[in-house]
Amino acid sequence: MWGRRALVVVAALAALVAGVAASLALGAIDVPVRDVVDALLGRGEEGPATQIVLKLRLPRTVDAILVGAALGVAGALLQGALANPLASPDVIGVTAGSGFGAILILLAFPGSVALLPLGALVFGLLAASLVFLVAWIGPDGGGVGRLILAGIAVGALFAAGTTGLMTAFPDRVQSAVFFLAGGLVSDGWDEMKVVWPYFAVGFALALCLIRPLDRLALGDDVAASLGTRPRLIRLGAGAAAALLAAASAAIAGLLGFLGLVVPHVIRMAGGTASHGFVVPASALGGAALLVAGDTLARTAKPPLELPVGPFMVVLGVPMFLWLLRKAV
Amino acid sequence: VLPRLTRRSASLAALLLAAALAAPATAAAPKRIVALSPFSANTLAALGVKPIAIGESLGGRDTFARSLRSTRVLPLAHPTGPNMEQLASLEPDLVLTSQTWRRGNRTMRNLDIRAVETEPLTVPEMYEEIEHIAALVRRRAEGRRLVARITSRVRAAMRDYQSRPRVMVVLGVGRTPYVFLGNSWGGDILQRAGARLVDADAESPSGFARISDETVVAEDPDVIIGVPHARADDLDEIRDYMRSNETWQLTSAGQNDRIFVSSDDSLLQADIDIASTIEHVRTRYLNNR
Repeated sequence: MWGRRALVVVAALAALVAGVAASLALGAIDVPVRDVVDALLGRGEEGPATQIVLKLRLPRTVDAILVGAALGVAGALLQGALANPLASPDVIGVTAGSGFGAILILLAFPGSVALLPLGALVFGLLAASLVFLVAWIGPDGGGVGRLILAGIAVGALFAAGTTGLMTAFPDRVQSAVFFLAGGLVSDGWDEMKVVWPYFAVGFALALCLIRPLDRLALGDDVAASLGTRPRLIRLGAGAAAALLAAASAAIAGLLGFLGLVVPHVIRMAGGTASHGFVVPASALGGAALLVAGDTLARTAKPPLELPVGPFMVVLGVPMFLWLLRKAV
Repeated sequence: VLPRLTRRSASLAALLLAAALAAPATAAAPKRIVALSPFSANTLAALGVKPIAIGESLGGRDTFARSLRSTRVLPLAHPTGPNMEQLASLEPDLVLTSQTWRRGNRTMRNLDIRAVETEPLTVPEMYEEIEHIAALVRRRAEGRRLVARITSRVRAAMRDYQSRPRVMVVLGVGRTPYVFLGNSWGGDILQRAGARLVDADAESPSGFARISDETVVAEDPDVIIGVPHARADDLDEIRDYMRSNETWQLTSAGQNDRIFVSSDDSLLQADIDIASTIEHVRTRYLNNR
């Protein structure tokens, strides 16, 4: 069993390293590999090649690693906490909330486009807070069914708001399509400077939740008898997932597929649902998938850049279906 | 007397030197210019400046001056406009961009590229923007002459309206109609061509408002001009759809066979050849010469 898990981790790590190398070396403009290496080592000559590597490709690659890892971890946390294979950041309303926040800035306040990441982050967290508030109040508060239903309702509310905005500002809708389809943009470190603390807190919380989630997997009663508080664990997992997913949406738009599929692929490939394996391996797998997908999206039809969402689906679904068939 | 004079001369020389140092140095005109909109590209061409590259929207129907035909074209797509790697590799001194590419404009500034937004929405704004571009490329006199030339041609194109028909200009996004308002480029052009713009009293800062088919019938315009917002490949299909729109056929425009489709971008985005656009609108659509 340990050998199989190690193999999955090594494969994900190898895919990530290969993806990062391709992401830094490939793009719309041919930059010789030696120039890429020189630029990364601080030996590059001043000029467009060094600028392209350091100010465009490097920040974008780091964005892809963090967003991919965050969505993979968010999905793993939610699927574990809610004991539901269909759980993903969509379920707790984060995706719909972030979508509304970003579209609000893009369509209603296009002059303040610098606030886009903040809008996505704030509304993503607001939507998740509403879901938790509704799910925790009243009888059976904190139950899985209640949380999922609250998520669907709040998500529908924000999705309706997004549709309303798109109807009100028809001539600006095109600028929103890329965000809705999910995609990274080469625009330096600006967005990361805003959202990195949310990633940091989200990842730290995720690490703390690994053991409690393993206990929760035994069932609420058994977990409670072991001294774990199931509702508190669910709340913590939801909060961590909300932070990670909202920060991801702020940078890369709506990439719901990644958070849903990556933890499943990791679980099936590793042959275990232990969170000590699934959470970190999902981070690696998610990062590798997004870096590879983004490189493809940038280089498939240069100089045009395509949204990364469809590319990740093309890369991830065949593997997912193959593993699913094997598992059955 | 002599030492006093010498001291005074020395003080004067020092003052002149200080003034010369304090005066802003006249920066050289930018040599490597990229123009991302047809308006800025054609303005540069009219000013006698050749950009190193021009932008063209994906599937767009932009019209450029003849002198720009051999100029390198950068495809533009949301959200950033040009591909940033491609743009950086051109090492431009100045990029004339538009508000549409705000996200890209931020990135350009991060790359230490001077990015200036120029996107007029009305004819008076266009005159200001031409002078702005002329100042940026150190061709102020040519800019003033160009504005004077356009103003005079526009004045001539606006003469002697035989009639002032009620015109509804409809932007077709897919199959959803949006009416042009007075604060849009096309709305401004139509009014200068002598049309009474039918906008159902709608207001919108964007210059466009969604309308229902019932509103089109209720407003009963004399002329309807459809402006498809579509790729060039899809134009024929959309043109057929607009001309055979059953609801529009119920209006005076439909009954009198005065439903037209404008298949270029002249009513959608600013261009310096507005006199020709006004003349075309008057002759082809309004029949009021």
